[in-house]
Amino acid sequence: MAQLNLFWPEGMPLPRLEALDIFHIESGGCTGCGLELASLSRALLAGSHPIRFVPTPRQAGMLLLTGSLTVGMAPVVELAWQAMPGARVLAVVGDCAVDGGLFGGNYAVLGGVGARARTRVALPGCPPAPDEILAALVRWQTTEGKR
Amino acid sequence: MSADVAALIRRGAPTPCAGRFVLEIEAWQAMIARLRAAELPLLGLWSDGVQVHALFRQGQTPLVASVGVSSEGYPALSPVRAGARGAERIIHDLWGIPATGGSRDPWLDQGRWPVATPLAAHSAPTPGLPEGREFIDGPAVMRAGGTVLGHGPAEGDFRAPFHLRLGLPGAGIEAVQPCMGYAHRGLAARLRGLAPQQAALLVARIDATATVAHQRAFARALHHATGTPMPAQGVAAGVMLGAMERIATHLDMLAQASAMGGDGRCATLAATMLEQVRQICRELCGRRLLFDVIVPPATVKVRVEDTQLATLVGQHALLHRLFWRPRGLAARVRGKGVLSAITAARWGILGCNARAAQKGQGDMTDRLDARLDEIGESLSLLAALPEGSAMAPEGGQGEGLGWAQGPAGPVWHWLRVEEGHVAAWWCGDPSLALVQALPTILSGAAYEDVDLILAALGLSATGADL
Repeated sequence: MAQLNLFWPEGMPLPRLEALDIFHIESGGCTGCGLELASLSRALLAGSHPIRFVPTPRQAGMLLLTGSLTVGMAPVVELAWQAMPGARVLAVVGDCAVDGGLFGGNYAVLGGVGARARTRVALPGCPPAPDEILAALVRWQTTEGKR
Repeated sequence: MSADVAALIRRGAPTPCAGRFVLEIEAWQAMIARLRAAELPLLGLWSDGVQVHALFRQGQTPLVASVGVSSEGYPALSPVRAGARGAERIIHDLWGIPATGGSRDPWLDQGRWPVATPLAAHSAPTPGLPEGREFIDGPAVMRAGGTVLGHGPAEGDFRAPFHLRLGLPGAGIEAVQPCMGYAHRGLAARLRGLAPQQAALLVARIDATATVAHQRAFARALHHATGTPMPAQGVAAGVMLGAMERIATHLDMLAQASAMGGDGRCATLAATMLEQVRQICRELCGRRLLFDVIVPPATVKVRVEDTQLATLVGQHALLHRLFWRPRGLAARVRGKGVLSAITAARWGILGCNARAAQKGQGDMTDRLDARLDEIGESLSLLAALPEGSAMAPEGGQGEGLGWAQGPAGPVWHWLRVEEGHVAAWWCGDPSLALVQALPTILSGAAYEDVDLILAALGLSATGADL
């Protein structure tokens, strides 16, 4: 059992987990979810946690999307997905990514990838807090991720 | 000379919006001719499909000049105000209205939208370009011997997406072509026809790093448009939450820049302070990122606990010392990403980036130091318990203009309300000017420093693209 306590003074117990490399794409949103992911990323890095955010899809096992998926970002997301090696999973975080949220489809927006593709982790919220995102990732990894 | 131009604008036909005047085409052209020698800063340019509006600042007073759009478009402002270039291209993309004498290259529409000119009355469907538009390299990139590197739109970071095409003849960047539109969500189209309360939800989500500024500017524009005074408690809450937002956004940028610059102590302290500020925000109004806190009128507690404030003040002093310590972050980023006062004036850049350019050469050290100073000022503001007085509306005849100081500079909102719904809306975000200035700011920089420079600028593509 590890403790993650840089940003949570009372500490947050975490089970021992497999390494998980996540490539994040902000697909067109207010970046609120991105800000919370950045907070989470700093905490994970400071705690030397096996879950980490990587700068290239070529070493990632999970593609994590935030934002409402603009038409400009759709081919970028597709390219990143194709560049990921081996078994890969798709995660969506935030209302916009899950189903478009307040930003449903129009000429510039496709309205979230969660409604268009099979996702393994879907966490609504506007935006979900870092501890909620981490809990969702840990929950997935300790159940589905081990299969 | 600025007074002459302002007087010329004021001779136009007054409108329901206080400070906005409609000029005849000849007067508009005379205004452009006189702007060459005047120092009237341009803060924004937009269209409602019928007219084009240019927002200037005379002293502290906003002044809007409007001109009707003819079949040929309207005379461009970009020959005399470089900062108008991006806005003219955006107007062409969204409305199909060309600026005579300006560029018609796309800015937002990279060829993937299913319709052309989506805001125009008769927007036509287009097949779109599956691969998007191609870059046409200029002579600077050709001189670079074909050495071209891209940056964005997906770098695995946490910023809004945009793309930079960088030409490097050697170690330093010589040519920069920004490609925008990846973060465009069609907000102007979305807001049309919405009730103000629904519109406010979208406005709060323009840019999470400046959500309070956008909410305050929109609320002010709405109060001016509807003629209802803004209650003193709402004004005071806005000031307090604006200060909280400024602290949080500056800390986030300091944490990012410190981590990229290899200063772990600064990065950890800034990140820890940021998390404390977010927790305080959650305690104050139930939201870490301050969405939906201004409209409807806030009932939040406008007071940060003394102990929390004292902790932040102490940590801020420590962060300042760490930043300026020998071999600290200040020394590591000195001379990088210079945004001079001349560049700031040329592109209409205001806010802390412009202030940093005034206090030194305008490099990253000056910019981060300016952000540290603003954190200190905001903490002092919070300690002094901001008091607001009720804001009296101007106009009240269905059209209003409002602004608020955001972390990266002033944010402007203009809206027209008809039968209780938003009929037209515009938002001016400081990021558009920053994007246009990027070729100058990144000129000569090493490719490895691009991320660092962008982080310290506070540029938000989502605010620029809307």
